[in-house]
Amino acid sequence: MNEKRIQCPKHLDQESGRGLVEQVRAEGVAPRQTLVLDFSETEDMDTRGGAWLIELANYVKAQNAKFDLAGQQGDVAEFLGLLRPSLVSMAEAPPQRAGVFEQAGEAALNTISEFKEFYHFLVDTIYWTALAPFEGRGFRWGSFIDELNEMGVRALKITLLMNFLLGMIVAMLSAAQLELFGASIYVADLVMVAFARELAAVMTAVVVSARTGAAIAAELATMKVQEELDALRGMGLHAAQFLVAPKVLALVIALPLLTGLGMLAGIGGGAVWGLVVLEFRPDIWFNQTLNAAMFSDIFQGFFKAFVFAIVIVLIGCHNGLRVTGGARGVGLMTTRAVVMDIFFIVLIDMIFAAFFYYIL
Amino acid sequence: MAKKSKEKKNANGSVIRVRNLVAKYGDVTVLDNVTFDVPRNEIYVILGASGCGKTTLLKHLTGLIPATNGAIEISGQNITGMDEEQLAGMQRNIGIAFQNSGLFNSMTVGDNVALPLREYGNMEPQLVNAVVRLKLSLVGLANAEYKLPAELSGGMRKRAGLARAIALDPPIVFFDEPSAGLDPIMASGLDELILNLKHLLGITLIIVTHELDSIRKIADRILMLDQGRVIFTGTVREAEQSDQDRVRQFFERRPDEHITQRNI
Repeated sequence: MNEKRIQCPKHLDQESGRGLVEQVRAEGVAPRQTLVLDFSETEDMDTRGGAWLIELANYVKAQNAKFDLAGQQGDVAEFLGLLRPSLVSMAEAPPQRAGVFEQAGEAALNTISEFKEFYHFLVDTIYWTALAPFEGRGFRWGSFIDELNEMGVRALKITLLMNFLLGMIVAMLSAAQLELFGASIYVADLVMVAFARELAAVMTAVVVSARTGAAIAAELATMKVQEELDALRGMGLHAAQFLVAPKVLALVIALPLLTGLGMLAGIGGGAVWGLVVLEFRPDIWFNQTLNAAMFSDIFQGFFKAFVFAIVIVLIGCHNGLRVTGGARGVGLMTTRAVVMDIFFIVLIDMIFAAFFYYIL
Repeated sequence: MAKKSKEKKNANGSVIRVRNLVAKYGDVTVLDNVTFDVPRNEIYVILGASGCGKTTLLKHLTGLIPATNGAIEISGQNITGMDEEQLAGMQRNIGIAFQNSGLFNSMTVGDNVALPLREYGNMEPQLVNAVVRLKLSLVGLANAEYKLPAELSGGMRKRAGLARAIALDPPIVFFDEPSAGLDPIMASGLDELILNLKHLLGITLIIVTHELDSIRKIADRILMLDQGRVIFTGTVREAEQSDQDRVRQFFERRPDEHITQRNI
């Protein structure tokens, strides 16, 4: 009979369990042989002993042999009964990692599904922000005021500070070069044009995406995880109406205003450098500044801010609403929202730069 | 049945002693002069109406919130004066299963159970996997090792949380609301599991719950809280025959009078 019988120790614990495994390994088990563990003399066992038993079962099964128990009684039998799934069946194999083609296919399908979701989200958002209020379907003005305060007023200090410091940096860098040609006064022109057309809009958008974009994504993601969005839908309310529309309108108003103030702060930072370090007279510096930029330059800055606002709020909301899983999902989607914000801000800025360079 | 447990069963005495415990959130007193003992290898149920301080008491016993006043002894050590490192040492010798399981969503169920084993277990790496399988088998989740917590049902998540709580073979396990939100079959299965842990592993369990069916089935002894005060300690039978109306009201599932007044 192709059966091998081994007597289990009286007390099956860490030490005796390890001994049992070492004994079986030393003696070996032949393929298709059945190893029967006899528990007739075993009075008690603990969890470490049980773990060695599972280790032994795994070894026996790996040898293509069978594993069986005999003679167990009382509490030992009860304990072994609970362990039976792990002793008798093979250990579940870890899930296989998907191959390259599977991963590529899955990524493609995810992208298509994300585009579809974004399309529906965009249509809902446009309707509930721009059309529904005129059809008398309501707009949450109270929530809009709160958002305006949070996204605009509370972001003012950090936005002004960042633009002011950037203005000084631009003035420092350009002064070092222009001084070589005795053209230091053009530092004023450079700071003015740079902030009107470019830097105020981009710097303010980056600050707001890190502050507000991340907050929007995290807020909606947490609401989704905690079933608050399902609760809204269950009451017949739309997330786009209730949560997204007030945020869109608030940021579309707040970001251009912040950008305008950011322009002034940046120009102020440049002026501090020009007046204190380069020692220009204030009237000469400010005349130069005012003559440097045209209305179209300032319009460019504001128009970009308007577009950036839409990008930041849509990306924040879209990512927040797509979250799956728990805390990790919220973290991933918040990070993704900020990374996408900054990428699209730079990309759109480049498109604008090319457009204004070639067309206008 | 385990060798260790038999030793424990022979040794009488209390594994937890609480004396005059006071807890406050700001000016609000949540636990007022709470005193009780938990005997070894028993299932000790803390119960009471919602908001009576049950979970706060559990958090004090497990060292998650420091006591404002009073003394808490766990396995003979007073934890009220402990620094963070001493508390961490004490916490390695207890298991906590949370109401919402407290599983790490980014890890598989197996990795959740393996985490304390790898951090503190001081055991051969090959045995870690076997211990994980053993603990999951004990709670009836032998085939969930590679699943993520999000893929489990509520009852399975509670079982997985319990498997993690017993990973290091702690002599004391705290379980917050094991039956809350579960269907009767799942809740009853969890009750059986709790009884098995006590019987087979010799664990002392402190369970916070207000599910009457569970309490009747598993509790060796109960402690009832009302507005932060202990109003009863004893067996379920004693509670049901108590001369305190508040205690009997709980077991008879009688609503407060103001709720039954139809004219409100």
